Amino acid sequence: MEATIEVSGLRKRFGATQALDGMSFTVRPGQVTGFVGPNGAGKSTTMRVVLGLDAADEGSALVGGRPYRSLRTPLRHVGALLDAGALQPSRTARDHLLWLARSQGLGAGRTDALLERVGLAAAAKRRAGGFSLGMRQRLGIAAALLGDPPMLMLDEPFNGLDPEGIVWIRGLLRSLAAEGRAVLVSSHLMSELQDTAGHLVVAGRGRVVADTSVADLIEAASGGQVTVRTTAREPAMSALAGAGATVTVTGRDMLTVAGMAAEHVVRLLGDRSVPFSEVSAHRATLEEAYLDLTRDAVDFRGAAR
Amino acid sequence: MRYAVYAEWTKLRTMPGPGWLLAGTVVLTVALSAVAASSVTCASAGCGHDAARIGLQGVQLGQATVALLAVLMVCGEYGTGMIRTSLVAMPRRTAVLAAKAAVLTGLTLAAGTAAVLGSVLAGRLLLPGSGFTPAHGYPPLSPADGPTLRAAAGSVLYLALIALLSLGVATAVRDSAAATGTVLGLLYLLPLAVRMVADEEAQRLLWQLSPASAGLAVQATTDAAVLPLGPWAGLGVLAAWASAALLAGGLLLRRRDA
Repeated sequence: MEATIEVSGLRKRFGATQALDGMSFTVRPGQVTGFVGPNGAGKSTTMRVVLGLDAADEGSALVGGRPYRSLRTPLRHVGALLDAGALQPSRTARDHLLWLARSQGLGAGRTDALLERVGLAAAAKRRAGGFSLGMRQRLGIAAALLGDPPMLMLDEPFNGLDPEGIVWIRGLLRSLAAEGRAVLVSSHLMSELQDTAGHLVVAGRGRVVADTSVADLIEAASGGQVTVRTTAREPAMSALAGAGATVTVTGRDMLTVAGMAAEHVVRLLGDRSVPFSEVSAHRATLEEAYLDLTRDAVDFRGAAR
Repeated sequence: MRYAVYAEWTKLRTMPGPGWLLAGTVVLTVALSAVAASSVTCASAGCGHDAARIGLQGVQLGQATVALLAVLMVCGEYGTGMIRTSLVAMPRRTAVLAAKAAVLTGLTLAAGTAAVLGSVLAGRLLLPGSGFTPAHGYPPLSPADGPTLRAAAGSVLYLALIALLSLGVATAVRDSAAATGTVLGLLYLLPLAVRMVADEEAQRLLWQLSPASAGLAVQATTDAAVLPLGPWAGLGVLAAWASAALLAGGLLLRRRDA
């Protein structure tokens, strides 16, 4: 079974709210796909539809080419963390994993190793009801990993984790993707996914606003501008303008170059023996790129009404 | 389905409530049966009492804890949000309900058998002291006696069917308080309400349709002929209620978003 999560044309209405309005994207194996967007963008509803908890009004959601509800032992195909609080509070952490293991025809053997892996070994015999949100997230992640699934869907897994926990989960997500799994991680905070996600699906108001690699997104938001610091402003300007770039003076020894990549600028100035002390591409942060995108989406929707 | 049954069994085994409710079923049933056996008296031959029915009186209390166990199995999950984890792990919802029903039936049959055997034993020991003696036409209560065996086995089945009825209602209603109220109302208030109906014909019909009244007809050993329904027909009415409740619960479970 190919480890791909495919969502196409999902629509779902809750009363007066159109929660999903044509949501479509594909999560591919071998990389972490970030699923981002403001609160209410439809991220959780999409995941609930994929997992068969909610039925879509229109569209389809397939995991490994099959509807989730047709899977006999679904946790061996898809590991999911939706709501860390969705457990019986009087049951111990180990027993929570135990009944889940039984439901997939798995032995009890994996539960202790998993609790160890998520850092809950010492709390294995404690009731999950007394856990902090961070500990419940860890238990939920253990549950998602229980069936050693080729696909993972985690809804806001960073919530409630301390900084050490956030670093841990970033590493975990990267290593799961490196093992060839398809990993979908939702978040409303872009910064959490920096350096973790390779691909991004940006949602707004129930549909996909952008579906792009992180590198492309940052490239686009950076506007391809390069800053040059040089004492020889005039020769530099004529050399760059002669090669087709748009040059503006932004300081006594500063130029901003558009329409030419940084490496090209370095090579050109070197060839002409124009001295320079710095050439740097302006890099937008993921956060800036994301805010640009979602602002446009919201403005567009606002104007359309 | 086998995995789902194993999962449901593991769930029940790893929380404290079900064990207490099952123990409570046995204790309360035997206790009320013992109280009935020692407080109802038979002063002379032909006092007209049904000794087996008195000895099994406790079932009317034991059915409450059995119903609560069924409600706990479903509404406990809705109350905590656990149901979402359950349905993600077991997305075939009919199988989940069937697994819950299978585990619940097994546990109720086991606890019900213990409760009923304890009640028969209590009746055998206590009834003679209340005047239910061979001299008054009452041999000691014994499961070896045909009608008594039917009343006893029927009572065990009665408890299992009450559990299934409650499971169906709980699945349809989802809310713990609403489900408990509905089930206990069906078990205790409906029989009272039926008794208050003035029109005899209508009362007879309602008695035949009421799950608890009709179902308990299976306990009758001496006055079976005068009851509105025969013992097995009465249990059949309860079985129809349980099937209808499970069907309704199952359909709603399949259709609804979780």
